[in-house]
Amino acid sequence: MKTAEEYYDLFFESEGDPKRPCVIQAVDIKKIYRKSGQEVQALRGATLDVFKGEYLSIMGPSGSGKSTLFNAIGALVKPTSGKVYIDQVDIAQLDTNELAWLRCRKIGYIFQSYNLIQVMTCLENVMLPMSFAGIESEAAREKAIKILEMVGLSHRILHKPSSLSGGQQQRVAIARALANSPEIILADEPTANLDQHTGQEMIDLLNDLKCKLGVTIISATHDLKMLQKSDRILWIEDGRIVRTAKPSELDFSSKDFH
Amino acid sequence: MAASPTSSEIPRQITLPIGVAFEVVMQGIRIRFGRSVVTVTGVLFGIAFLMSIFTGIVLKNGLSSEEQLRIEVNRMLSFLIAETGQPKGHVMGLIVDGSLTPAEEKVFAELDAQGLDKLQVVAPATVVLPVLSSTQVQRVALDGVGTGASAILWTGEKEPAGGWTTAFKGSRQAVLALTRNVSAPQVAPDVHVVFLASALSDEQKAKEQAATKRENFRNGWIITISLLVTVIGISNAMLMSVTERFREIGTMKCLGALSAFVRRMFLIESALMGLVGGLLGCVVGFVFSVLVYMISYGFEPALHATLAGLGSLILFALASLVCSLVLSTLAALYPASVASEMVPATALRSSI
Repeated sequence: MKTAEEYYDLFFESEGDPKRPCVIQAVDIKKIYRKSGQEVQALRGATLDVFKGEYLSIMGPSGSGKSTLFNAIGALVKPTSGKVYIDQVDIAQLDTNELAWLRCRKIGYIFQSYNLIQVMTCLENVMLPMSFAGIESEAAREKAIKILEMVGLSHRILHKPSSLSGGQQQRVAIARALANSPEIILADEPTANLDQHTGQEMIDLLNDLKCKLGVTIISATHDLKMLQKSDRILWIEDGRIVRTAKPSELDFSSKDFH
Repeated sequence: MAASPTSSEIPRQITLPIGVAFEVVMQGIRIRFGRSVVTVTGVLFGIAFLMSIFTGIVLKNGLSSEEQLRIEVNRMLSFLIAETGQPKGHVMGLIVDGSLTPAEEKVFAELDAQGLDKLQVVAPATVVLPVLSSTQVQRVALDGVGTGASAILWTGEKEPAGGWTTAFKGSRQAVLALTRNVSAPQVAPDVHVVFLASALSDEQKAKEQAATKRENFRNGWIITISLLVTVIGISNAMLMSVTERFREIGTMKCLGALSAFVRRMFLIESALMGLVGGLLGCVVGFVFSVLVYMISYGFEPALHATLAGLGSLILFALASLVCSLVLSTLAALYPASVASEMVPATALRSSI
């Protein structure tokens, strides 16, 4: 097993390439939670760069700080110390209004449990981020229909999420994440609640987006198939990033993955 | 790999027009219809209670003033009849000074019903004469009144021009019946004077005022308690609604919803439910109260009192509606701020 420092070289290889600038940089981020008087250190100084157009997977056991890292680089929680830059902008400097803009336009979130708004139809779910962005509703509707077609759901746009299968709901969620043409997609275990086949479809869809639209994808996952498709895999353990690797360098049959 | 922070690149998220929040709220209410109905019912009961008390006050005042009028008229009539005998076939005079009071009009209607033959009226041309069904009503000059009359009703508060004696030139046998409080009229000694009007003593007045005050206080107390219960009910329902939607709110924030938008959403939802509950509550409280009064006081008196008090009833209904709107918005302030201060990461928690 290589050390973190050895894998660190991978960063420098990519950084030298002018076509691949960083979209997200995290510098020594620490996060301390207070839980009933006790301090819990979820992150103990994580540093990473995410390059434009890459597909980065984050692995780690539960309680490793994976979700916290994920939330911190997605501008969903503020780290206790350290900096997170999204497109070279220190997000700690942003007020709630600017953060809302960032979440709306720059980042698309995909959740493990889909998190569709149950009271709205698929179409309305996809239109929602566009209406938050101030897009006029006719234009939003047209675009939403196009995106839903792209994810293969054009026949169910007026259904409520509850009447759809898990895979279909996740497609709606992906469509919603794409609504404002974000540069970054954050996917938290997007295939965890899906069966093998649907999971594979989801992975193909995400990979497709990456290739066609140049979207940066960051996903927390344990799914082997997702790991194999990603450009870079990052291990987090006990609040620290312990390894980064390219899938080609890894032996997926080893016990690390089972 | 040092980053160069330049924080001015990120524009501010736009503030959405109120219509968008309204649409989202309407969808929410439509889908969670059952729950919304329960909340609205809570408001409905609170406002119905308020409105039923308001209606009760209006009807009770109407009914009691009608009752008082009836007692007053009966007393006047029995005093008059005691002096002149049954009015059947009699002629009476009426000297109007100013306009007629409802009690006086009722007295004439009663006299008419008991078969009074003729009413000679002395009145300025501007005064509309009472319309009676069987009695002949005649407008006469002052010196023509009282010929053959058994009584002359005097509705003035002052002595007539030319003195009382002039008014009695025609008939010395007639009784002078004063329907208002005239202190010590200077009449000829042989004129018989009956005082029909009654005056409440100061003690009675004070007693009545104290009773009204007590009742107002009690009503105020009951209304306050009932509204407090309603406010807590709405607040509780809205808090539940917030808790239920933790993930939904978190998701919306991840999608770029501003805190102000989330807050507004809950305030609108609560105000809408307050409006609907308030409207229904006004109707239910009004109908309930009127029905109760109809059962205990009879259909017609209650209907009469309702119609008579319609103006104040409408004002009370408007007050109840405003009260409902304001209270339900107030009740939602805390739940709405809980919702708006929620961190977006809530949406990422996989457990529901």
